[in-house]
Amino acid sequence: MPGSFCVSLTCSKDNTDKATVAFVVANAAVASDKDTMVFLSIEGVRLSQKGYADDIHEADFSPLKELIDNFVKAGGKIYVCSPCFKKRALGEDKLIAGATIVGGAKLVEFLSGGSPCVSY
Amino acid sequence: MMGEKWDAGELGCGELLIELAGRMKSLVPGQVFELRALDPGAEEDLPAWCRLTGHSLVSAQHPVYLIRRREN
Repeated sequence: MPGSFCVSLTCSKDNTDKATVAFVVANAAVASDKDTMVFLSIEGVRLSQKGYADDIHEADFSPLKELIDNFVKAGGKIYVCSPCFKKRALGEDKLIAGATIVGGAKLVEFLSGGSPCVSY
Repeated sequence: MMGEKWDAGELGCGELLIELAGRMKSLVPGQVFELRALDPGAEEDLPAWCRLTGHSLVSAQHPVYLIRRREN
């Protein structure tokens, strides 16, 4: 069953519960053969930086770094909101594997193709 | 044709599915995989996942599920 799926995530260490569950759901989508994209915006863009997620581990969940790594390894894509990224003066040289900085048009294009989206 | 088995313990939701998807890929088409999954969400999730991916749910007697790998 082809199709795509978007998970929009606006949190990182300001709400580690939401950040974790977003990637659990993203893993469910990519494991279900969906062309899956996690769109990081607002505080969520911090997760695009190497090392940032290393100490995030919600009780009864896998560590967030492991969830992100598994997602990328399974073919999931991570898009990072460009203006949110610039506002926080983050480093392009510190992007994790699978992450790409994009503008809003990329999100609009993805969703305009009929992709469902869940937001955290 | 019976094949591999895996005890997923308490793993659930996407954490269970991403591991399961990888294990199913390593099987030959038609091979049956035995999964033990204690998570209470598995009873609804695994039939849905099989519908989404094209694998066949041969048997579902929570917490034991038999899943036949799809042809391609």
